[in-house]
Amino acid sequence: MSSAHSSASGQPASLVNRLNLQQYVVYLGFLVIFLFFAIVLKDSGFLTVRNLSNIMLQTAPVTIMAIGLVFVMSAGEIDLSIGSTVAVSALAAAVTVNDYGLGAGIIAGIGAGLLIGLLNGVLVAYVKLPSFLVTLATLGLFAGVSRSMTNLRSIPVTDSTFTGFFGSGSFLGVPSLIWWTVVAVACGHVIYRETRFGAHVLATGDNSRAASVSGISVPRIRLAVLLISGGLAGLAGLLYAGRLQAAKYTLGETDLMTVIAAVIVGGTLLNGGKGTIIGALVGSLMMGMLNNGLILMGLSVSDQMIVRGLIILAAVAVSLREKSR
Amino acid sequence: MHRAVRHFALLATVFVATSGYAADGKTTGPHGEAPTPAGTFALTAAEEQQVKDGKFTAALVWHEMSEYTNAVNSGAHDEFKRLGVEVVAQTDAGFDAARQKSDVETVLAKKPSIILSLPVDPATAAVVYDPARTAGVKLAFVDNSPAGYEHGKDYVTIVSDDLFQMGNKAAVAMADALGGKGKLGYIYHDADFYVTNQRDGAFKSTIEQDYPDMKIVAEAGMADPARSEEIAQGMITQNPDLDGIYVTWAEPALSVLSTLRGAGNSHTKIVTLDLNEPAALDMVKGGNIAALVADEAYNIGVTAARAAAGSLVGKTAEPFLVVDSLAVTKATVADGWKKSLNKDVPATIADAMK
Amino acid sequence: MNANVSAANEPVLKLKDIRKTFGGVTAIENFSLDVHPGEIVALVGDNGAGKSTLIKIISGVYTPTSGTITIENQTVAMSNATMARGHGIEVVYQDLALADQQTVYMNMFLGREPVNRFGLLDRRRMIAETETLVKELDVRIPSAHATIRDLSGGQRQGVAIARATHWASKLILLDEPTAALGVAETAKVEEIVESLKRRNIGVLIISHSLDQVFKLSDRICVLRRGKQIGIRETAKTDKNEIIAMITGLQQH
Repeated sequence: MSSAHSSASGQPASLVNRLNLQQYVVYLGFLVIFLFFAIVLKDSGFLTVRNLSNIMLQTAPVTIMAIGLVFVMSAGEIDLSIGSTVAVSALAAAVTVNDYGLGAGIIAGIGAGLLIGLLNGVLVAYVKLPSFLVTLATLGLFAGVSRSMTNLRSIPVTDSTFTGFFGSGSFLGVPSLIWWTVVAVACGHVIYRETRFGAHVLATGDNSRAASVSGISVPRIRLAVLLISGGLAGLAGLLYAGRLQAAKYTLGETDLMTVIAAVIVGGTLLNGGKGTIIGALVGSLMMGMLNNGLILMGLSVSDQMIVRGLIILAAVAVSLREKSR
Repeated sequence: MHRAVRHFALLATVFVATSGYAADGKTTGPHGEAPTPAGTFALTAAEEQQVKDGKFTAALVWHEMSEYTNAVNSGAHDEFKRLGVEVVAQTDAGFDAARQKSDVETVLAKKPSIILSLPVDPATAAVVYDPARTAGVKLAFVDNSPAGYEHGKDYVTIVSDDLFQMGNKAAVAMADALGGKGKLGYIYHDADFYVTNQRDGAFKSTIEQDYPDMKIVAEAGMADPARSEEIAQGMITQNPDLDGIYVTWAEPALSVLSTLRGAGNSHTKIVTLDLNEPAALDMVKGGNIAALVADEAYNIGVTAARAAAGSLVGKTAEPFLVVDSLAVTKATVADGWKKSLNKDVPATIADAMK
Repeated sequence: MNANVSAANEPVLKLKDIRKTFGGVTAIENFSLDVHPGEIVALVGDNGAGKSTLIKIISGVYTPTSGTITIENQTVAMSNATMARGHGIEVVYQDLALADQQTVYMNMFLGREPVNRFGLLDRRRMIAETETLVKELDVRIPSAHATIRDLSGGQRQGVAIARATHWASKLILLDEPTAALGVAETAKVEEIVESLKRRNIGVLIISHSLDQVFKLSDRICVLRRGKQIGIRETAKTDKNEIIAMITGLQQH
């Protein structure tokens, strides 16, 4: 950014170019990877409707969590606890739905997520502890809770309305997981981009003092974003429980890094003030596509991990370099 | 019949006790299946040719990647290669059932004829494998099958360890190390887990039934491996004259080993299960470790691949195929490594043997 | 001391006997000052003289220990910055308080974004009002869509002042508005400040630069160690007198 400072009065054109490029990195990356797989795997079923819709279905919970994390990161915070919130919510929903029915299951699942978000939020916003440490602690705490909730057992979900609504069902010919993705992304995008709340989240992450002297309640924003993140992780837990027709303490444990990578590759700044919901969606689809394509290429598991790591590294390097100041 | 088969299998192994074996018991499958030795499942030359002509494909959907899975994986790869079956994809679910479901869906895009898999969560795995099952893919499992699935109809077979045999061989190895008599300590896994429960039980019953001159004088249950050192400490303090200690698997056995070393005890022998490099090193250097009983993990992969391939040409497999295990001692460590994991013995151990 | 003649109308801000103590320490004592619409009053004094404390009292951040604040004939008690804003007082902070990665127009409306009947941000209105205002004040920025961090220091200060101007109905407090700027940019910001007089609002400016004070202000108020040393009409004083007052070589 030093160049922009020294040349602030002139060169608006180069500035615009760079801004556009940085904005489109994720879309460009997505396209490149897609085309690569489409060509290399054209005989391996990559381009089939079934496979492409699989990618969408498989990434639904990650996308939902990524939306929450965009809010959190835009406000300059982080939420690591989503990794174990998913399992707690899924287990809470599974136990409740079997005994008390659909409504209670949904309330228990989302409620568990919101409660974890509330705990994080209060500690961060009002006790004024750093969110990294708070959510690192609650990540471990609730990983323990999810293990002890059912004593490591997995809980089957037998309610077919629940599994249809959150997992295997469809509406107007479109699978429910895709509906959830579309609805969550649309709502998230509008709230993030088009409401005062969204603007205040960005201002808080950008310059919390400026936000504060402008009359924005910074603690309330911090609490709100962690609540959103907890609630959405809870929803992701319901989607997993619906899809697997079961809940287990391991659900979501491996997702945390994928979610963070999706959000950052998608163009959200790690230290706040700037982000995009659509970018996070594309980032999440990119991660899913990468998993899918590398498996279909027939690589060994270790090679898949290496290649995936390298591609994420490249994507993050490009998107962060463009945005660094 | 199974008893006869078992008898044969045992006779074929190196460490047969002089008195034969009276210990009664056998491994049962996760759903109570009777075990069939993996070696009994073979394909005829005609069947193999038929498989080769079929141009079949396979996908390997693992639960996680470890040295054990690696050995199973390479066994499956080698056998598929031999049979002309192309492995088109392999995945690692990182112990996450949701990811395993995604993995199954993903590999289906390559329309494999076979999926070999170890279910992360057997109790709820039906949902994970249903897309493959309805697509007519032949499923063969390692260790366990999804609850509700029927052998022969929904899946080809389950291939696993002969758990009873492992415990039994540990007892035999202990007797060999101690000359058939002595006082024993017995550290078992104190949890409801059928793999360790069967192995521990087999060790105990073999000692009790086959070796009247050997007595288990100290027993301790271990629920948390992290506390194994304290358990070992207590046992050795109360029974300093133990001749041997059985430990349920290698990780806690290392704690027992360090306790013995700390007490300056070099005469108490340890027998445990699973190949483990530090434990093997101690054994090779003539330390307390007398034997490590290992399963033929590589052979699990070979057997599962063979059974699945056979099912494509109409050959049925028994529901629960078990591979042999072997007791690895100082003398057989190199062979044992090769046989169990299909790998060369680690360099540190090879160096120590020189 | 109250013999001001520069404005005919009622003062927009009237401070009477303001006193502020922190614990046992007195930061400000017996401070009284009127600011009239269309008038620029400069507040000068050495570091630690109490200027910042005074700004914080007027902007609602601190509550005075005693004394009264009157805004257009109405005595007010303010306990936070939002209340001060409610009374038509805006502050341009030394460090600008701009959100760097947001656009100019979002910063103009930070915390007070207008929404349409669906509750969504009314961007069109924000952009239009921003463009009108930057044109009026002659703040030369590429566009209302520009991101703050891509602007120069002078442009940023221009945006901060424009924001204050947009929202202030009575009084703007400027805290060292040109401290971080170069010569040309300082001149530009001074022009903007001068143009505020035409808007008939009161301006209270803190500045270290006496040149700037003499160039811009109608009256100068001097603080030293929390005490009000005196108020002079700029036209009837000179730098030597003000320096003497600041340094304490002359008690009034």
